[in-house]
Amino acid sequence: MDAVVSVDGLRKSYGDRERLHGISFDVRTGEILGFLGTNGAGKTTTIEILEGYRSYNAGVVSVLGVDPANATRAWRNRIGLVLQACELDPVYTVRETVAIFARYFRRPTDVGATIEAVGLSAKSDDRVGQLSGGQKRRLDVAVGLVGDPEILFLDEPTTGLDPIARREMWTMIEGLRAAGKTIFLTTHYMDEAQHLADRIIILRAGEIAANGTADELSASLGYRAAVSFDADGLDLDRLAAAVGRQLVVSESTASFESANVQGDLQSLLDWARDHEVQLANLQAVQPSLDDVFVRLAGDDVTDEGADR
Amino acid sequence: MSDVSLAFAQTRYALRGFLRDPSALGFTAFFPILLLLLFNAIFKGVTDFNGTHVRAPAYYTASIIAYEIMLVSFSSLLVRVTTNRERGLLKRFRGTPMPSWVYLFSEIARTLIVVAATVAVLVAVGAIFYHVTISAHLVAGLVVYLVAGVFCFSALALALTRLCVTADAASAIGPLAATILAFLSGVFIPVAVMPSWMLDLGKVFPLEHMARGLQAAFLLPGSTGVTGTDVGVMVAWGVVGLVAAVRLFRWEPLGTGR
Repeated sequence: MDAVVSVDGLRKSYGDRERLHGISFDVRTGEILGFLGTNGAGKTTTIEILEGYRSYNAGVVSVLGVDPANATRAWRNRIGLVLQACELDPVYTVRETVAIFARYFRRPTDVGATIEAVGLSAKSDDRVGQLSGGQKRRLDVAVGLVGDPEILFLDEPTTGLDPIARREMWTMIEGLRAAGKTIFLTTHYMDEAQHLADRIIILRAGEIAANGTADELSASLGYRAAVSFDADGLDLDRLAAAVGRQLVVSESTASFESANVQGDLQSLLDWARDHEVQLANLQAVQPSLDDVFVRLAGDDVTDEGADR
Repeated sequence: MSDVSLAFAQTRYALRGFLRDPSALGFTAFFPILLLLLFNAIFKGVTDFNGTHVRAPAYYTASIIAYEIMLVSFSSLLVRVTTNRERGLLKRFRGTPMPSWVYLFSEIARTLIVVAATVAVLVAVGAIFYHVTISAHLVAGLVVYLVAGVFCFSALALALTRLCVTADAASAIGPLAATILAFLSGVFIPVAVMPSWMLDLGKVFPLEHMARGLQAAFLLPGSTGVTGTDVGVMVAWGVVGLVAAVRLFRWEPLGTGR
């Protein structure tokens, strides 16, 4: 597949502090790329470089074959933006807002159809100031789509939304995926990336910590499940020897990591039956993608606060 | 669609938004009319202008028109542009194919339309309630000062958006600067009773020249009130503002650390 975005060795410094340490990745035609990171990892810096808002210090960046640092009007006609913080003027109606943005583009989509696509048809004649947070955010998306872009940049589209508004936004983005849009999505929610993205990149402290599908990221941790049970009254040394695993005991719960849950449970249950022991609260838990995210993006809580 | 028709569409859009903003409308349309009525209720009779006795209502009609031109093109524009920058709207516009000049044109054209409409209302109030006579000379003078005023004060407002980090700052600085300049320039208090050092200080700034010119147009029969000095000072300030605005104007929100 063709690369719509291609980034190679991108570096960016603010003052003498480097925030992006030479990252490389591609976004392919028709895919939704989930770009994850904690605050301060460099997500916003990266997306703003791709959008043509920010300069960079080194590397090669190409969006639709153009270096965004030399953004032209023709190029702006081909990209769509949904910024992280943009408050559309509250005095206009939904339709007026989408219609004026449509006029900025050479080949806009139909205004009514665009409003329909983000699920705001019933609100067309309401003022922006009367919309809920989730509806405003979907209007932002409509404004980003009305130029019929070849790539849509979605910068944290659900941050600050309540769970229902978040689900509505997901449904809408799934509709865009079905329509074959190429989307660069930044988020700091792993479940959002897992739900929406074809491929996930995890950014940590200005470097790419992981790049792959959700399944590949899970596999990279070896699918190690955690098996746990109450430790009280058990002869843990003999149990560990019988199962052949290193046990970790914390707050009277014993646990071990297992790459072979079925086999390990078999040994554990055999031992319990032979010794006539009851294993209370026995559990085997697969790691969630949140665990993957914490594992890969963790240790990244910077003291700088701002997400640049 | 051509950029020119886009510029007019954007102007209509800006004007519509302005008319739906009650605080902007009250501040720039109703407040000056109220001021005119108040001043004329307080100061009756005659005052002194360039050594001749003139009627106070005509003096105040001219003064409040000068004040109104500054209020719309300086204070109100400063607040509006700073607010839109803080909202991230200017950054958003910048990310579309719309040329930058279209946005700036639309705001200045909108300003000119609002100024022309509100000045017409103030002239009508003067004519109906205070026996101000409308002549061809007066209209010519009004047009010159209106255009020069919008140019000068809009340019200064756009330059000052850089100093106003937030919309709150603009909401304080815009009206404050207008009020102080109005006192220094013999707009609120007749020139005849002002200390001369204050008038000399006022002459440095463009409002004094616009007010004096408009007062001459309203008060001196057969005069347009237009002088090379008055218009020249306003244009000079406008050019300084324009150069500063071109160098200083920012599309992204300031002071958020981004």
